[in-house]
Amino acid sequence: MLTIPQKKRYEGFDRRMYFLGVGVLGAFSLLVGQLWRLQVVQGDEYALQAKKYRLHVCPLTSPRGIIYGNDPGVVLADNRPAYDLVVVPHDCGDAEGVCRQLAELVQLDLEGVLAAIQKNRRQPFKQIVVKRDVSKSEMARVEEFSYILPGVSAVVRPQRRYPYNKTAGQVLGYVGREEYGLNLIGRAGLEKTYDAQLRGTDGQLCVNVYASEMWPELRTDAYGRFDLSMDSYGHRLDVESRIEPVQGESLFLTLDIGLQAECERLLTEQLSEEQGGAIAVLDADTGAVLALASAPGYDPNVFVTRGEDMNLMRKQLLEDPNKRLQMINRAYQVPYPPGSVFKILLAIAALEEGVITESSAYSCGGWFTLNPRAKWRCWTWKRGGHGTVQLVDALAYSCDVFFYHVGLSLGVDRIHEWSTRLGLGVVTGVDLHDEKPGLIPSREWKEQWGRKNHPDKPWEWRWYDGETVNMSIGQGRTGVTPLQNAVLMAAVVNGGRRVRPYLNKAIGPAVSKPLMSERTLRIVQEGMRKCVEKDTYPTGTGIRARVPGMVVLGKTGTAQRVARRHYDHYKSEEDIPVKLRDHALFIAGVLDREPKIAVSVVVEHGLHGSNTAAPLAKDVIEYFYTHRAEMVKIAKTGEGL
Amino acid sequence: MTRGEQTLDLLDAHIGVFNIRNLRRVDWGVVSLVLALVVLGLLTLNSASRGGSAASDDAVRYDVRQAMAFLMGVGIVMCLVCVDYRFLVSLAPIAYAASVLLLVLVLLFGAEVNNCKRWLDIGGLRLQPSELAKPALVYMLAWYMSTVGERLKRAPWFLLALVIAGTPMLLIQQQPSLGTAVSLAPVPIAMLFAAGCKKRHLAALLVLGVAAAPVVWHTQLSEYQKDRLRGFADRNAKPVASAWQTTQAKITVGSGGMTGKGFRKGIQTQLSYVPEHHTDFVFAVLAEEGGFVASACVVGLFAMLFLRGLALGAACPDMSGTLLAVGCVTVLAFHAFVNVAITIGMLPVTGLPLPFFSYGRSFYLAAMVCVGAILSVHVRKGLFDE
Repeated sequence: MLTIPQKKRYEGFDRRMYFLGVGVLGAFSLLVGQLWRLQVVQGDEYALQAKKYRLHVCPLTSPRGIIYGNDPGVVLADNRPAYDLVVVPHDCGDAEGVCRQLAELVQLDLEGVLAAIQKNRRQPFKQIVVKRDVSKSEMARVEEFSYILPGVSAVVRPQRRYPYNKTAGQVLGYVGREEYGLNLIGRAGLEKTYDAQLRGTDGQLCVNVYASEMWPELRTDAYGRFDLSMDSYGHRLDVESRIEPVQGESLFLTLDIGLQAECERLLTEQLSEEQGGAIAVLDADTGAVLALASAPGYDPNVFVTRGEDMNLMRKQLLEDPNKRLQMINRAYQVPYPPGSVFKILLAIAALEEGVITESSAYSCGGWFTLNPRAKWRCWTWKRGGHGTVQLVDALAYSCDVFFYHVGLSLGVDRIHEWSTRLGLGVVTGVDLHDEKPGLIPSREWKEQWGRKNHPDKPWEWRWYDGETVNMSIGQGRTGVTPLQNAVLMAAVVNGGRRVRPYLNKAIGPAVSKPLMSERTLRIVQEGMRKCVEKDTYPTGTGIRARVPGMVVLGKTGTAQRVARRHYDHYKSEEDIPVKLRDHALFIAGVLDREPKIAVSVVVEHGLHGSNTAAPLAKDVIEYFYTHRAEMVKIAKTGEGL
Repeated sequence: MTRGEQTLDLLDAHIGVFNIRNLRRVDWGVVSLVLALVVLGLLTLNSASRGGSAASDDAVRYDVRQAMAFLMGVGIVMCLVCVDYRFLVSLAPIAYAASVLLLVLVLLFGAEVNNCKRWLDIGGLRLQPSELAKPALVYMLAWYMSTVGERLKRAPWFLLALVIAGTPMLLIQQQPSLGTAVSLAPVPIAMLFAAGCKKRHLAALLVLGVAAAPVVWHTQLSEYQKDRLRGFADRNAKPVASAWQTTQAKITVGSGGMTGKGFRKGIQTQLSYVPEHHTDFVFAVLAEEGGFVASACVVGLFAMLFLRGLALGAACPDMSGTLLAVGCVTVLAFHAFVNVAITIGMLPVTGLPLPFFSYGRSFYLAAMVCVGAILSVHVRKGLFDE
C-alpha cells in the first residue's frame, strides 16, 4: 500500500475553519437581509421612485379649430399643411456636407443649422429643422436632387392660415407661442377669447426615457403623424400610455365677411395716413356683429408665417409705437367723445324723465349763456343760430343750445344713469377681449378723479353745471366706443331694446326688455329720420346718408379734438393740421328692411360727421342690402358663385 | 467498490503528475453550484446586453462573449483537476514572479483607459494582469505557508507573508485601481488565519491597517475616490456621480419587488438608469428582473458554494491543499460580497466584479481558476492515509 506522508496540521485547525465558515454565512445573511428590506419591505416605494425618474410626458398637440364666417363656406381661419425641411444627421453620413449641398439649392441659415447639428450631436436621430415652411418650388428642387441628399426629408405640420389676410384681422386676432412652452395660444382677438375652445385638448404620450440625458423628442413622418418607432436618440420609444389629442372645436361667427371687407375698403379709401377710423355694423334686433372694421389694420398671417419680410413686419407691429396702433381695433377698444350723437341719448332720457315733451321749445340765438362769464356757442353761431326749435328739429339740425337746456334740466346724475342703462360708457359685453368701457362722467367719478389728480384743490372735486353743459353735446370727458354707439342706434330701431353684441353664433343673442316708451321712440326716430331727409328745408345734417327708397335714420356727430382756440385762427378748415381736426361720427339705422341694421362710423380727424362719416354709412347700408339680397339669391338658386 | 479497485484507483492517482481519471472524482456539489451560477450569470448578461437602440443592431453580445470565456474556463478547470495541485503549488513562485512582472509591464506599456493602465495587449489578447494576480497570489501564499510550516508563528516569517501579498497590491494601486488592490487584502489574512499564525500578529495587522487609513486617505486616494467615500458616508455631501449610481442601483433593486419584472423586462436597467449594468452593477439587472426570489437565491447559491469550498479544504489532510481552498474561497467570497453590498447600497462604490456574472474575461478566467483549484484539492484527498 502506498502511503504519502501527511503534513502535520496545526492545533485548533477545525475551530478556525469553522470560524471562517460562520464568517461567510454571517456576511451573506447580511446581504439577504438588506435585499429583503429593499425589495420586499420598501419595494413599492422604490417602484414609485423608479417611475418618477423614468417617465416623461410628450405632448401630442391637437389641431386648432376652424373659424367660419356667417355665410356658408366662408372660412376665416384654418390650418394648412406647412412643409419643414429637416435633416437627420445619422442618416446623412456627412451631415455638414449634405447641409452645404442643401444650402446651394434652397436659401437657409447654414451657420445656424450646423450649430444645431453640433449641439444635438448626442441625439443623432433628431429631425433638425433646416428650413421652415418651404415653398413648392424649393421642395421640388430638393426632391430632384434627393440622391445626393441622404437624410434630408420634409415633415408636415399644421400651420394657421387666415385666408382673408387683412380683412377682419383685428377681430380674428392671431396665435403665438406660449411664453414658457411650445403650445400655440391665442394672442389677440377671437383667437384669444375662444382660445380654450379652439385649442382643443392636447394628447399625451407617456414614455419611458433613458437615464441622465435630455428629454427625447418625438419625430414626425411626412404625413404629420408621430413616428413612434424611434425617438431623437434612436432609442426605441417605450410607450407607457397614450392619450389621443382632440381637435379644437370650430367657431361659427355672425361676421359677414363681405360687409366687413366693404367697410374696411371704404375706410381705407376715405382715410389719409394720419387718420384712423372704425365702422361697427350690428343686426339691430339681435346684436349680432355683422362687421367690426377698424383702419388701419394688420394681417394676422404676419404672426404665424415665417420669412424675412414677415419677421420685419411683426417686429414693427410689436415695437414701433405708430405701427402698434394698427393692432388696436378702434371699433371697440378706443373711446371717442360722441359729440352730437350723444343728443339722442339726451332726447330719450329727457322724454322718459318728463323733463321735456315733443312740443317743448327753446330759442337758439347761436349762443348759450350759463352765467355772464360762461358762454357756449351753437355750431351755427356764425349764421345767428337755429331760432326757436322743438325736439325733432333740434335732432335733425343738431341744435346745441336746445340740448344745453335739456342737459341742465336733466342734470348729470340722470344723464349718467340713462347712459349706463343704454350701454354708453360701460362695456357692451361683446365676446372680444380688452374691450374699453369708455366714460360718461358722474359726480362720483369727478370726486375720485379730483382727489387723485388734485388732492390739494378741493374745488376740483365737485361737479359744475358747466361740465353738464359740455357733456350735453357729448364733449368734455365723455368717451364712447363706436360699438357702444351702434348699440344705442340698435335700440332706436329695434323698439328700445339694449342688445349685447356678439360674434360667436353659439352664445346667441341677449336682448333686454324695451327700456323706453313707444312714444319716445317715435319722436326720436322722427328726429333722426328728418336728419337724413331730403324733402325738408333746410335739409338735415345727415342728408348724405340718404338712400333712395329706404327709411334711414341717422345722426351726425363731431367730436372736438382740441380746444377751439388752437385752430380758430386758421382761415379755412383745410388749413387745419390733420392732427388737430375734429373727429367725425355718424350713426345710422334702417327701419323698413329686414334684418334691421345699426351702423356706427367714426372717422378720426374727419372734421364733420355730415360730410365724411355720413357717406360711409350710406355706402355700408347700400352694400349690405344689395349684397345680402344677392347672397340670398345664390343660396336659393345655387347660381352666381 | 472492492478493495482491489480502490487500490487501483490509488495507483492511478499517484501515477504521474497528470491523471485524466481525476475528472471522475470531482465534487459534484461544487460543480453543480458553479454551473447554476454560470447559467444564471449568462441569462442575466443576455438581458443586460439587449440594446435599447432600435436603430443600431450592433448591440454588444456580452452573453455570447462570456460563454466563450466560460468554455475557456472549463478547459482550465479540467487541466487543474487532472494535474496534481501539489505540482502546481510547487510552481507557484514562478507564476507569482510572472504575475508581478506582468503588473510591472502593464504600468509601463498598458493601454490607458480613463487615466488607468489596466489592460495589456499580448498578441491580440486583452489581459488584465491584476485579475490574473489573484490566483497567482493564492498559489504563492499556499506554497509559502505550507513550506514554512510552524515557523509562521514567528514574526519575520509572518511579515514575509505580508510582503509577498503586499507587492502585487502596491503595484495594482499604482495603476491606480484601489478596488482591485483592496480585494487582494483578505486573501493573506484569511490564509494566515487558517494556517494558524499567532492571533496577536493578526490583531496587530488589523490595528496597523486602521491606523494606516488616514495615511492612505491623504497619499493614495485621488479626489474622485475621496468624493465617492464622502458621498457614501454623508448623504448631504455634494452630489457625485457615484451617489447617483448608488441611488439608481437601489431604486432598481428595490423596484424589482418580491418576484421581479420578468426576464428581459427590467425597464430600469434596459433604459440604462443603472450604469455599468453588464459589469459592476450586473446584480441590479438580476434583482430587478428576478426580484427578491432570484437575488436571494443567487446570494444563497454563493454562500453554499463557499461553505462547500471551505468544507472541501478542511477535509484535505494536506496543508497546502487546505490553504489553496481557503485562499480561493476568500477571493471569490470577497468579490461576491462586496459587489452585491455595493449594488444594494451597503458599501461605497468601487469597481469589483461579481464572479460568474460580471462581464470581463480576465476575472472570469481567474474565478474559474479558483474553482479548478478547489476541485483539484478535493480529487487528491484520497492520496493521504487517514
